[in-house]
Amino acid sequence: MKKFWITWTMAILAGLIMVHGQQVDYQEYDLDNGLHVILHQDNTAPVVTTSVMYHVGAKDEDPEKTGFAHFFEHLLFEGTENIERGQWFKIVSSHGGRNNANTTQDRTYYYETFPSNNLELGLWLESERMLHPIINKIGVDTQSEVVQEERRLRYDNAPYGRWREQMFLNLFDKHPYRWQTIGSLEHLASASLDDFKKFNKTYYVPNNAVLVVAGDIDIAATKDLISEYFGPVPRGAEIQRETFIEDPIEETILATYNDPNIQIPALLMGYRTPAQTERDAYVLDMISTYLSDGKSSKLYKKLVDEQKQALQVFAFNGSQEDYGAYIVGALPVGETPLTDLKTAIDEEITKIQNELISERDYQKLQNKFENRFVNSNSSIAGIANSLARYYMLYDDTSLINNQIDIYRSISREEIQAIAQKYLNTNQRVELEYLPETPAQN
Amino acid sequence: MKKIIYTLSLILVSATAIGQIDRSVMPKPGPSPEINLSEPQQFELNNGLKVMVVENTKLPRVSIQLTIDNPPILEGEKAGVSALTASLLGNGSKNISKDDYNEEVDFLGANINFGSQSAFASGLSKYFPRLIELMADAAINPNFTQEEFDKEKDKLITGLKTQEKDVSSIAQRVKNALAYGTDHPNGEFITEESVNRVSLQDVMTFYRDYFVPANAYLVVIGDIEYDKVKELVTTHFTSWTKASPPSLTFSEPSNVQYTQINFVDMPNAVQSEISVQNLVDLKMKDEDYLHALMANRILGGGAQARLFLNLREDKGYTYGSYSGIGNNKYVPSLFDASASVRNVVTDSSVVEILKEVDKIIKEPVTEEELKDAKAVYVGNFVMALERPQTIARYALNIETEDLPDDFYKTYLERINAVTIEDVQKAAQKYFTSAHSRVVVVGKGSDVIENLEKVSLNGKAVPVKYFNKYAVPTEKPDYNTALPEGVSVQSIIDAYFNAIGGKEEIEKIASLKLVYEGELMGNKVKTEEKRLADKYAQTTYMNDAAMAGVVAKGDELYMKQGGNKVPLPDEMKADMLKTMGIFPEQAFGVAEKAKLIGIEEVEGAKAYKLEVSGETIQASYFYDVESGLKVKEATVINMGGQTQNQETFYKDYKEIDGIKFPGTRVSSFGPQQLESTLLEAVINKEFTEADFE
Repeated sequence: MKKFWITWTMAILAGLIMVHGQQVDYQEYDLDNGLHVILHQDNTAPVVTTSVMYHVGAKDEDPEKTGFAHFFEHLLFEGTENIERGQWFKIVSSHGGRNNANTTQDRTYYYETFPSNNLELGLWLESERMLHPIINKIGVDTQSEVVQEERRLRYDNAPYGRWREQMFLNLFDKHPYRWQTIGSLEHLASASLDDFKKFNKTYYVPNNAVLVVAGDIDIAATKDLISEYFGPVPRGAEIQRETFIEDPIEETILATYNDPNIQIPALLMGYRTPAQTERDAYVLDMISTYLSDGKSSKLYKKLVDEQKQALQVFAFNGSQEDYGAYIVGALPVGETPLTDLKTAIDEEITKIQNELISERDYQKLQNKFENRFVNSNSSIAGIANSLARYYMLYDDTSLINNQIDIYRSISREEIQAIAQKYLNTNQRVELEYLPETPAQN
Repeated sequence: MKKIIYTLSLILVSATAIGQIDRSVMPKPGPSPEINLSEPQQFELNNGLKVMVVENTKLPRVSIQLTIDNPPILEGEKAGVSALTASLLGNGSKNISKDDYNEEVDFLGANINFGSQSAFASGLSKYFPRLIELMADAAINPNFTQEEFDKEKDKLITGLKTQEKDVSSIAQRVKNALAYGTDHPNGEFITEESVNRVSLQDVMTFYRDYFVPANAYLVVIGDIEYDKVKELVTTHFTSWTKASPPSLTFSEPSNVQYTQINFVDMPNAVQSEISVQNLVDLKMKDEDYLHALMANRILGGGAQARLFLNLREDKGYTYGSYSGIGNNKYVPSLFDASASVRNVVTDSSVVEILKEVDKIIKEPVTEEELKDAKAVYVGNFVMALERPQTIARYALNIETEDLPDDFYKTYLERINAVTIEDVQKAAQKYFTSAHSRVVVVGKGSDVIENLEKVSLNGKAVPVKYFNKYAVPTEKPDYNTALPEGVSVQSIIDAYFNAIGGKEEIEKIASLKLVYEGELMGNKVKTEEKRLADKYAQTTYMNDAAMAGVVAKGDELYMKQGGNKVPLPDEMKADMLKTMGIFPEQAFGVAEKAKLIGIEEVEGAKAYKLEVSGETIQASYFYDVESGLKVKEATVINMGGQTQNQETFYKDYKEIDGIKFPGTRVSSFGPQQLESTLLEAVINKEFTEADFE
């Protein structure tokens, strides 16, 4: 009887928790070959996402061979021993699905979403990619063309396309974060087929990956299929990773860059911040939202709305595995000098350092983060991505349910303290991102 | 007990072991999944508002959607009244000011948007009570003010102006107007004149007549409880006065007697917009509704469909060609196969689209086409189910489209049951190649000649001509002969005469012109200073200098921020050709201009002169009647990129004996800037600093 009562109480408690926030249920385990598996069952819609995140990004590259991770994002769609070249996308669409992939400094992510009766197809596609992709000259040549086009489109011809490259070049001295995922076209052009094969063998192995299957699945049957498709993939060698420690920035780093694709200059100020797993990084997220998210945010209201000094202001905290970057900046209206923008931005940062933000602003921030959190898990594909990310880059899958608690626990005092700790003028890079021809007068 | 479980699991393991996979074969899909659709709970208020509630605790958020399912409304000579009603709703209410309302919605991290007969709100479920209160208040007690009305009217008219040269907006307008006639709700369109006939009172009347609960549905989805929703909806929506919309009658449209091309001439078009269309009477509850959708998908529903494969992959005529079929329970809808194509392949594209329509009517589709089409359809349908909006739409469709309750539950089964014969029957019933209206909007001088040769199945397809308001017109004549004695010099002389006489013009040693206009809420001022051999232009945005161009002696540069950016030498050479107080003084004397002929500018005949250079090609247009300059157009080619700019000159005004355009309308791509003359100063002393 007593036992029954306890269960009943727990059910009620569980119900209460449900009211307060969402609960993404999941299971996780390892296959013998080291592949980590996360399953999330949600039968509300007959949709399934299969995805694999590999723990390889631009930061794992040899400084003499940059751009490899991103290149592989393309190369691994070329075909496998059982999937003919050029068939990948057709297979996906003729089964009613969609797919894509992306690469960051820290990881590479492949996924496809199907009606749930194509679960097995998704597992087959991803296991084929992991087990025996075809890496040959024709694939490398084809994808080289594509990547060159991408570099032209997104970096070389795009207005402001190189700000990130220029900022990170200055923010990092030793860490591989100093180059971009697109890497160097020269490095890619001079790489041999063996270089690519070696990179594949090192990083695209089950013990360096997480497989997520999320959506309308039956757990037991899915586990069986996973062991059938992924069990035979051989474990790779243990991966040796180097650790890079940067010295703190103690004096303002001044930088300029001339972009032929722009007419209006930009001021960008970057601060090096701790790893995304650190509590401080979360606080900086809140500060960037406070400063520039929405038309009622501090910088927007002041520089764009009221003083009409800036066409645009922005602040964001780019979180990454080893270090992050907090960037704040603006585009001037007319002949407003960049130094005026700097002064105006610094005034607002100084305010955060000297006074507590208001109660109402604090509550608005909490509302915004809660909204963001809720909406980040609104699709099965989004949940799959979050599960993979929290496992691989935060080493804590449960953040999918708990991360909001961290934001909730941040106080106004903490916001002030973190602004004092990180956002000082001597700790940053000041990048003047200018039109092609420098001032002549 | 434990042992039994153990044995059972052993059996399971061996069962899967027997069915071991063969990875050299692509896995087959499992049976079509069954759909777990939430069933809405329903209730109705006394005023007629029907409420559907879908409890979905997955995420702590809520969406509230208000739909008023009125029959189509003919706005007639006041077309635009519904658009204005929509933009005036959701600006606070009689109880809360616009600013406070916006701030609070922002604070809650929420969204609230209004249409002329709809509203949508979303946010965190914990703020649901306040959210629904704000939405109901804004919906039931709108605060229509003259100030907001004037602002929205200006915005609407500015928007219309930006569309006037946009080939695809014109095509859209003409397409509907021709299909339904302009006295039908689906065929009428908004014009500047019709918007100007709308008053604030009209908006209030429209709101009173049509924003009524008789056909209204409120769908609430999310982490909320039915009882709570019922309580709050009752509290906030009971005061909505019971009323039904007035009933209207309008003409019944019909298809054309025979397949024909309806051509609209747009001299600025670089691509032709082609639409092969016919009316269809298709309702969701029709037995063959899905059959029609499948036929359309195979014909032109995506990048694997016939139109795309033929016109893009095979022929390379276009970036994409697609077809679509609508459904409507009140009025006929449209079937439409379309493409935007390069001018030179306009006629061939019309032929290929007509052929594809003809073919899918006459020949059965293949097994594989049907299979792939079903897969894409099933996939899209299934994956859309994830979004709460989809679930809301389905519940609402069942109610408003009079569908069986299991319509969506059996959807996939019914898709999979569609046969090749079903598809052909639907194609025969809903598509036609014998009564097609082929609407082509494009550059007549490039495409008409070949369009008139188009034939289908050995039968010529006649071309009829319309203007951009869908009114029948004459075939454009591009061979208007130049009158005897007209030359570059006579045109320039006539122009100078018209603005004040050559002698007066010769006396001008310096000129300063200032124009001001508004662009997206910003004040834009242009200041031009000219001497015979110097030129400076500065553009100000909200009184701050944004950019400028300076040409003098050997220098030509752009000013950006505090920087001077020199422009290429080729450009400098081109600029010199038109340097002077009036450009005509420069290119007239040196015989650098060519007389091209007569073209229409804003409906009136004008002589066209062209000054071609290395990077700049400039055209000047002078009204045949008045002699005044009515337009300038420049095309700048640099580094593989092309930039177009057009300026129209209107309302000439006399200042110190010389006439200057009182209004200048410049367009850069889709942007349009209308400026008025603020200042014209003749023979003012300039200093060197004016040309820095």
